[in-house]
Amino acid sequence: MNAPSGLWLALILAWPVLYAGWLSLHEVSIRQLRTGEFPFAGAANYVRLFRDDVFWLALSHTVVFVAISVALEVVIALAIALVINDERVWLSRVTRGLLLVPWGVPPVVNGLLWSFIFNAQYGYLNRALLALGLIAEHVNWLGDSRLAMGAVITAYVWRTTPFNILLYHAGLQGIPRDYYEAAEVDGASGWSRFWRITLPLLRPVIAVSLILRTAFAFMVFDEIFAITQGGPGNATWVAAWYTYRAAFQPPFNVGLGSASAWVMALILAVAGLAYARLVGRRLEP
Amino acid sequence: MAWRLSWRRRALLWLANLAAIAFLLAPLAPVVLASLQSEKVIQRDVRALLPREITLANFQLILSGGATRGPIFEQVTYLPKSVDRFPAAFANSLIVACAVTLLTLVLGSLSAYTVARLNLRWVKAMLSLSVASRLVPLIVLMVPLYVLFRTYGLLNSLTGVVIAEVGFLVPYAVLILAPYLASLPAELEDAARIDGCTRFGAFRRIVLPLATPGLAACATIMFILSWHELLIPLIVVSRPEAMTVPVVLAGLVSDYFVFFTLMMAICLLGLAPTLLLVVVLQKYVVRGLVSGALKG
Repeated sequence: MNAPSGLWLALILAWPVLYAGWLSLHEVSIRQLRTGEFPFAGAANYVRLFRDDVFWLALSHTVVFVAISVALEVVIALAIALVINDERVWLSRVTRGLLLVPWGVPPVVNGLLWSFIFNAQYGYLNRALLALGLIAEHVNWLGDSRLAMGAVITAYVWRTTPFNILLYHAGLQGIPRDYYEAAEVDGASGWSRFWRITLPLLRPVIAVSLILRTAFAFMVFDEIFAITQGGPGNATWVAAWYTYRAAFQPPFNVGLGSASAWVMALILAVAGLAYARLVGRRLEP
Repeated sequence: MAWRLSWRRRALLWLANLAAIAFLLAPLAPVVLASLQSEKVIQRDVRALLPREITLANFQLILSGGATRGPIFEQVTYLPKSVDRFPAAFANSLIVACAVTLLTLVLGSLSAYTVARLNLRWVKAMLSLSVASRLVPLIVLMVPLYVLFRTYGLLNSLTGVVIAEVGFLVPYAVLILAPYLASLPAELEDAARIDGCTRFGAFRRIVLPLATPGLAACATIMFILSWHELLIPLIVVSRPEAMTVPVVLAGLVSDYFVFFTLMMAICLLGLAPTLLLVVVLQKYVVRGLVSGALKG
C-alpha cells in the first residue's frame, strides 16, 4: 500500500535532490539546456558560488531574517495563545475564530498587500502614522535598506504567526488546571506561575515550533518576490532568492543554482534531522 | 486559577483580545478600502484613511476579464495583463487544487495507514523520511524538476504543476493522517479480516469511513496549500493559458504601471476562496495542522 506514494516520492522528491547534486557538478546554462548535453565541470560551480560576495550577503541576510522572524513569531504567538486560553472572557472565543485568517492569505497576496501598505506615496502605513501624528511626512519604507528588511519580516511574521498560536494553544490546553490551582493555593504569583508551570510544560511544543519555523523562514521566497525583489540594491537578497535568480533569470545558470540549492539543503538537513528525531520519538506506538 | 475575575483583570483581558484581533485583521483593511476606490480618488488625497467615493468598477473589470470597463476605466489605454488572465487563472487554480487534493488524499491515506498499522522497519524509515522531506526547500526541488520537466515536455501544462505539487505535499498529508488513523480502534479491522476481508478491503470499507473527519482536515489543508503555491507554477508555467492565480498575481510585481486599487481588488479575489475555507472549516484545519506538526 506504500508503493504508489513511495514511487511518487522517489520520483518527485528523492530523485530531484540527487539530480540537483549531479547538475551542480556540471555546466548547465541556457545553451546546454538547448542541446541537452551537460559537460562535467567538477567543483567549478561551488568555487564560483563561494567566491560570490552576493551569495554570502544573501546567506547573512537569511540568518538575520530567520533570527528576527522566528523570535517575533514565538513571542507574539505565545502572548496571543495565553490570551485566548482564558475562557472566562467571551471575546477570546471571537479571537479564536479569527486566528487562522492570516494563514488563509496566499503568500503572494500577502506580499502584494504589504507592498501596498508600505508604499511611500499611497500606502496605508504612512496614512495611519500621519493621521496619528507619529510622522511628519511620508516615509519611504521600501527604499531604505534597513527599513525594507523590517518590512519584509513584518509581512512574513504576520502570515506565519497563527501557525505557532495554534500549536501553543494546543499545548496550553494539555496543561491540567490543577497545577495552577495548587500553585495559587501556595501563593505563587501570575508571573512565577508562567515561568514555573506554563513555560516548562510548553517546552516540547516550543521546540517543535522553533525547528519548523526556522526551516520555513530559511526558505522564504514569496514575500521577497512580491515586496522587494531583493531590493533596494541587494538589501533583501536571501538564500532562496539567490538560487531563483541564478537558475531562472538570465543567464539561466542552472548549475550555479543547483550548487546554491545544495548548500541550502545541507544547512536545512540539520534542522530536518533534529525535527525527525523530536517528532519521531513521539510517533512510536 | 480562581474562577471569579476581578474587573481589572477582565478589562485587561478584553484589551488584550482586542489587540490580538487588530493584529489578525488590520492588514486586510487597506485591501478592502483600496479595492473599493478608483485610482484617481486614492491618488488625490494621500492622507485620507477612508475612501471619499466608493465604486465596484475594479471588481467588474476583473471578473469580466477586462471586458466590462466602467466609466473609470474608459480613458485608460493600458491595463495590466493580469486583469485579462484572472478568470482563466481562477479556473486553472481550481482544477489544480482539486486534482492535488484528490491525489494527495489517495496516496497519503494509503501510506498513513501503513505507518499507523504496520510495525515494520522500512515503514518507520519512510515515516522519518517524510518528516525530514517536509524541510527540503522547494527551490532545491524546482531547479532539477525544471530540467526534467523540460526534457519530458511537462513544462507549461497543468499536469506538470499537479505532479510536482503532489510530490511536494504527500509527505505532509502522511504526517497529518498517520496520527489520526493510529487513533482509530484496530479491533474493527481485525473483526472484518476474520470475516474474510482483505487488508485493503478493511482499509476501504472500515478505516476510510471512520476517518472521514481526519480526511476532511487533510483535504482542506491540501486544497489551501495548493491554492497558495507560487514557486512551482511560476517555474513550470510560462504560457498564460496554464497560469494559476498566484502566478498571475506575481505578474503584477513586475508591472511598470501599477494600479494599486486594481491590484488590491485582484488580491481580494485571490485570497477570498482560501480565507473563506479557513474561517468556515476552521475546526478541521486546526485539528489537521496541530496533528500534522505535533502528532495530536
